[in-house]
Amino acid sequence: MANVPKIRKAVYQGPSIVKEIIYGIALGLAAGGLWKMHHWNNQRRTREFYDLLEKGEISVVAADE
Amino acid sequence: MIVLKWLFLTISPCDAAEPWQLGFQDAATPIMQGIIDLHHDIFFFLILILVFVLWILVRALWHFHYKENAIPQRIVHGTTIEILWTIFPSLILMFIAIPSFALLYSMDEVVVDPAITIKAIGHQWYWTYEYSDYNSSDEQSLTFDSYMIPEEDLELGQLRLLEVDNRVVVPAKTHLRIIVTSADVLHSWAVPSLGVKCDAVPGRLNQISILVQREGVYYGQCSEICGTNHAFMPIVVEAVSRKDYGSWVSNQLIPQTGEA
Repeated sequence: MANVPKIRKAVYQGPSIVKEIIYGIALGLAAGGLWKMHHWNNQRRTREFYDLLEKGEISVVAADE
Repeated sequence: MIVLKWLFLTISPCDAAEPWQLGFQDAATPIMQGIIDLHHDIFFFLILILVFVLWILVRALWHFHYKENAIPQRIVHGTTIEILWTIFPSLILMFIAIPSFALLYSMDEVVVDPAITIKAIGHQWYWTYEYSDYNSSDEQSLTFDSYMIPEEDLELGQLRLLEVDNRVVVPAKTHLRIIVTSADVLHSWAVPSLGVKCDAVPGRLNQISILVQREGVYYGQCSEICGTNHAFMPIVVEAVSRKDYGSWVSNQLIPQTGEA
């Protein structure tokens, strides 16, 4: 039984602080990105609202009955 | 286009407080829109920091639980990480400060030549509004008091503690100057959807400039404790087209000129 590779017991080395920080920043940026998408969507809808209002296609004044 | 029309026609701008409301009322002035945008900018950093800190906290609790990690480490200091966690927050603060100062200084810009000046005078417990631009003599030609409509006198659809008998009628898309003061104690003239809050101080005139971007009815409340009925002296601003504003002013002035 020559050249049998030595089987060593796997030992957990512990967490890598750099990796955990990178994962945290990535998750934070992802969550922040979701918020930014919500913000940009709001801005787009506001801009569209005022554009339509300016063109006269919608009105905020109730029609007289 | 039909879908767009349907989407927007079913939206009613939120210009008064709503039950269980979480966010801002819809902006009706560029200042309020700027405030909302700044809030969104800062909230991005808030979420970034919150998620990052929660992640590190949860992972630390997970990895260093006493059953997994019986012997705690004794780390006294780490120069690199201490430099990093000083520089990064400073950068974040700088990114927050830039839009914040931009908005602050733009809010302080005084419109040199507003079309209309309105005085708002706080009393215990009502507001008086003066439109002195239309004086033909030394007498105040357009002045009225604005009292809250009591609950028992409300009509269906009116808002409790927010409606008044005489609203502040202003023209939309016009530069306005509001001069706020008080005849007795401290009050504060505040309308959230216009992004306005201005203290009414006896013996002092405070000035604000606003430009209401769309027609509508905007509600606010006195925002400085002024006695027992502090919660019962609301503010209602009604922005109308310039034509309707002209008609309103004429109608208000006619009784006075008729008597003279």
